[in-house]
This record gives sequence, structure tokens and C-alpha cells, in this order.
Amino acid sequence: MTPVALALTVLLAPLGSAAVIALFLRRQGTLASAVSLAAALAVAVAGLGLALGGDAYRFNASTEWLKLGSFSLSLGFKFDDLAALMLSIVGIVGVCVHVFSLGYMHDDEAKARYFGGLSIFMFSMLGIVFADNLFMMFIFWELVGFSSYLLINHWHERAAPAAASKKAFIANRVGDFGFLLGIVMCYWANHTVNLSELDALAAKDGLVFSALIPLLLFCGAVGKSAQLPLQVWLPDAMEGPTPVSALIHAATMVAAGIYMLCRINVLMVPDALTVIMWTGTATALYAALCAIVQSDIKKILAYSTLSQLGYMVAAFGLGSLAVAHGDHSHMVAAGVGAAMFHLMTHAFFKALMFLGSGSVIHGCHHEQDIFKMGGLKTKMPLTFATFTLGVLAIIGFPFLAGFFSKDAILYLAYAKNTPVFALLALTAVLTSFYMVRLWKITFLGAARSDAAAHAHEGGLTLTLPLVVLAILSVFGGYTALYPKVFSEVFVLIPIAHGTDHMVILITSVAVTVIGAASALVFYKSAATDSLGAKSPGLFGALTALQFSFDRGYDYYVAKVQQRFALFLNFLEQIFLAGLIVRGLAGIVGLVGLGARGLHVGRLNVYLYWFLLGLVILWIYATEIF
Amino acid sequence: MMTASLNEYVIISSLLFVIGFFGVLLRRNTLVVFMCLELMLIASTLALVAFSRFNATMDGNIFVFFILTVAAAEVAVGLAIIVALFRKRQTVQIDQLDSLKN
Repeated sequence: MTPVALALTVLLAPLGSAAVIALFLRRQGTLASAVSLAAALAVAVAGLGLALGGDAYRFNASTEWLKLGSFSLSLGFKFDDLAALMLSIVGIVGVCVHVFSLGYMHDDEAKARYFGGLSIFMFSMLGIVFADNLFMMFIFWELVGFSSYLLINHWHERAAPAAASKKAFIANRVGDFGFLLGIVMCYWANHTVNLSELDALAAKDGLVFSALIPLLLFCGAVGKSAQLPLQVWLPDAMEGPTPVSALIHAATMVAAGIYMLCRINVLMVPDALTVIMWTGTATALYAALCAIVQSDIKKILAYSTLSQLGYMVAAFGLGSLAVAHGDHSHMVAAGVGAAMFHLMTHAFFKALMFLGSGSVIHGCHHEQDIFKMGGLKTKMPLTFATFTLGVLAIIGFPFLAGFFSKDAILYLAYAKNTPVFALLALTAVLTSFYMVRLWKITFLGAARSDAAAHAHEGGLTLTLPLVVLAILSVFGGYTALYPKVFSEVFVLIPIAHGTDHMVILITSVAVTVIGAASALVFYKSAATDSLGAKSPGLFGALTALQFSFDRGYDYYVAKVQQRFALFLNFLEQIFLAGLIVRGLAGIVGLVGLGARGLHVGRLNVYLYWFLLGLVILWIYATEIF
Repeated sequence: MMTASLNEYVIISSLLFVIGFFGVLLRRNTLVVFMCLELMLIASTLALVAFSRFNATMDGNIFVFFILTVAAAEVAVGLAIIVALFRKRQTVQIDQLDSLKN
């Protein structure tokens, strides 16, 4: 097959699956899950074929979709190494999550709807990966938002998921509005939103730069990748089924914001990068602080995801790095390399931990409170082993995936901006702390509830994806192991040399050890949250911090926006509905009433009207007035 | 023999016209209203003939011929309408011809 045909297969297989499920298989869950899994497998096989095919399989192709005057909208593929890397991640994690879902959602009544939703999500996500222009990306951007809404809302009969899905949708809409404005502005300034054409313009210095364009586009990433201040939807989105959280709200969709930023790297200016860097750093620290006081296993992972996304955004915002080559140096887009590298390793270990938490929740009969778990080490040995690898990977334990990608980011921060480096290192300590806390309370010690005492390992469909992802979490950081096909991205990864290398290595190991050791000591015999018991003030402050944004938005919506809406409603009632609509109707009605009075039905009276008309005509004709 | 001046013709013509006019406005019998209409036509033809005579031209006279012709046709139609109306409604009183509204 030609590359284009292969890419079309990858893109359209999940769409076909979603269509078949929605049209014919709504009552046949098992068949629907088979169709959906087949589509995911097709995506993974064809996608990996494309990605690993090397330069022969890198292409640009597009077709015109809509033409409005001089403005034309095209749909097309831009398949370079960056897209290939993202496609591989989506394909692999997608298959793992589909397989896991077979076990996890086995007894669900609406299984067909669930798998249909997964398929439509895969389609939308792949659209973002392939998109060769910003308009097309925006279309699929909205589609992933929709499918995310659909899947968070899977158990729509319960109030919390319904509310969470709406919150996710609305928070994303706020960001997407900025994204759309950014696209329009980019088109207005550069007369194109095609990514390759923008690259070409940048290459010959023909690009119109403005800090506003990248910042508006960044709004989209703020919404989708849940950065401050729009991060509120992601923790709530955990109301959805756990495999969905793994696929959409950890590994792929929320990473789309980072991917989009890397795609539009040529548009970046230093001012915009500074804003992006600080947004990412603030999110990383804020979410890590919130994660410490959570007791819901999925909420901890959600805040951890937020924090890691903040890491990636900060890495992107740190921007390019001068790399010495002998006696001269040139700039390398190290931010893109570090962000994408961490995106990849994070996708593996976070999907692993989310699926691990799904396995735990499934084993403990839908118990999500970690303080009601404990002792799962012996009950669920495989989950324990893989989850441990995931934890080690995320806290940056030497020689696991997270170690390399986090070091790349830390090195970049060290080289570019010391305060950011300090904050990211602090975040790494906190990450290590809350992840080890989660791991210890869940798996070690004695069982603290009946559910945990009778926990059991799930079937093969639940454990196989864990093993695959665990292997990737261990080896995913060795870029030398990968085929040479992603070299365009991997060459951008910043690598420390000499003394820098030692500083980063020591910092990295130190933060990991400090965080992990303090968590192990602090939660030595924790049946309840010892932070809440030992330091209620700190605990309260962190909880208040976690809810501060929600409170702020609640206040804004209920007190400011609602009152403004009532005021506008008042104005509308008085002026629009009152004066204009009813007033005009009243005047017309009065005229009608008068005109009806003339119509008396007697001939001689009409004669008088005739005469009156004649007199008026005469007055008019003689111009007396 | 004493001949009437133009003023007298015009005064008589105007009187006839006013009588006809008020007849049309005030009378209630359709037939009388119709006759009053004819009276107004005749008043105007009288004025035209007088003008023609005193200007020593034929213009007014020719005008009168046309008016008479049209009036004859109009009377034929009008009377026929009134007869048809009476057959239909058993009355020609204007006050009772109010089915346009009631």
C-alpha cells in the first residue's frame, strides 16, 4: 500500500468501527467490543508500519475540502517524525487500553456505547496527529473534546459523571475559543495555517511574528492539557471508567496540547515562551501539592498527570538551547525534544499506573479510597509488580523511562532558568513523595477493608496490557534502542555533558530519594491520612489550595456571571421585549384599531371617506401645506 | 328680448351641482342618490354648454356629447344594478345595505 492509503486506513478504521457500532451493534456489546478492538489493532499495526517505515513513509498530502472565495480549507496529512512518534504512542496505548477494557467493562450494560466511544476517540485523536493545518487540527480538537465528554459521561445515570462531563466540556470550550481566535489571527497575519507552509515561511524569515498568536493558540493547550487556570476539569474527569482515564485523560488526549505546541514551534516568540514556561511550572507545582492530600487512587493519578503535563509545558516553554559543535554553536529546539520525550515516557508509565489502578479497583470491587486498601502486594502480585515499575518510572528512579525524560527537562531548566529549575526539582520531590505514599498505602501493610482482604487478580485481559506497558516504562527511556525513524525528534532532546551531567544526576537522584524516603517514614503505619492527623494546618491549607479554583469559579459563575445575566435579562425585558417588541406591536395594533373604525359597512359613510381622501389629495396637490 | 349672461348660467349650474351633491350625501334611497348623481352630471354639462356658447367655440359642446353618451350607458348599468339589488334584498335603502360589515 502507498503511504497515503496506509494513513487513510489508520484514520478511517476507528471511524468505520464507531459507525458500525452506532448503527448496528448498539445492543450487542461483545460484538461491538470485538469490532472496536479490531479497529484499534488495525491502527496499531498500520500505524507502526507507517511510523517504522522511515523516510519512505514520511509524506505530505492534502485535498481541498471547502472553498469560499479566495479562502480554501483543506484536509491533509503531514506525516513527519513527530507525527510518527505520536502515532506510535496512540497506537500502542490504544491497543493496551482496548484490551484492558475487555476485562474491565466486561459486565457493563452499555458496553457497545463504551467501545463506540473509544473508537470515535481514536479517530479524533489520529486526526489531530495527522492534521497538516490548524483548521483541520481544530476540527479534530473539538471531536476529541466531544468523545471525552461521551466517555466521562459513560455512567450518565449517576450525577457526578454527568456533572464532570459538562465541566470538562465547558472548561475545554473556554480554551478552544482562544485556540480558534489564534488560528484566525495566524491566518490573518500569515495568510496560511498550513503547518508545512508556516515552516517554509519561517525558513525564509517571511513569518509575521506576534506574541498574541502563539499565546492564543496556547489557550487551546491550556484547556486540553489542563494547565492553570483551566485545570479544574481533569480531576473531575476521573468519574469516567478507568481505562478511559488511562487513554484519554493521561496518555493521549491531554498530551495533544503539548503535541500541538510542538507542531507550531515556528510561531513561538520569547515573550510567549516565558508565559508558557511559567504556566507549566505553576501547574506542575500546584498539582503536586494537591496530589499529597488526595485519598482517591484515581484522583492522585489525575493530579500527578496534571503535574507531569505541567512539566512538559514548562519544558516546551524553556525553548531552544545553544549546542556547541567544536568552536561554533547552533540553536536546537530542545524544548520540543524534551517535551515530546517526556510525553512519550509519561504516556507509557501513566497509562500503566492508570490501568494498574483500574486493576486494583476491579480487584477491590470498585473501592477507590487508598486508605481502605492495603496489603494488595500478595493478593495482586502482577499488578503490584507492574505498578511498582510505573511508580519507579515516574519518580525518576535511575535507568527507568522517567529518569531520562525528567533529567532532560531538568537539564534544560538548569541551563536556561534557575528559578524554574528549583521549582521543578521541588515538584520532583513532591512527585516522589505522593507516588510512594500511594504505592505504600495501597499495596503494603495489612488489608484495611473487606474488599481489600478479598481482592483478587483479574483475568489475562487485565494483566497483559500492564505487562506490555511495564516493559515500555522500563525501556522507553533508552532512545538508542529505538529504530532510527524518530531521529528528527530525538536529536532535539537535550543531553547534559561534563559537570552539568553530574549536577543533574545528583539532583535527580537526591529528589527521588528524599521524596520516597520521607513518604516511607511519614506513612509508616498509615491507616488514616497521617498528614491530616499530624499537621491539620498544612493538610487544610493544601485542601483549600486544591479547591481554590473551583471555589473561585463557583463564585464567579454564581455571583458575577449570574448577576450580570440577570441584569442583561432585565434590560432585555424592558427594552427589547418591552419597548421594541411589545411597543411596536402596540403601535401597529392601535393603527389597526383606528383603521377598523373607518370600516363601518355603510355606503354613505364610505362616500364621506372618499370625499375626505379627495380633499387631502387636493390639499397635497395644491401644496397648501 | 333679454338674454341671460354667463354668470347666471354658471350660478344655476353650481346650484344644480350642489343640490345633487347634497342629495348624494344625505338621501337614503339608492334611486334618489342615483338621480342626484345624474343631476350633478347635468349641472356640469350645462356649464360646459354655456362656456361653449360664450366662447363661440364647439369644444364644450363636443365634450357634452361624450358625457351624455357615457351617462346614458352608465344609467343603463346603474339602474340594472339597482333593480337586481332590489330583487336580491327587497330594499334599496342605503342604511340597510350594510352587509359589507354585518
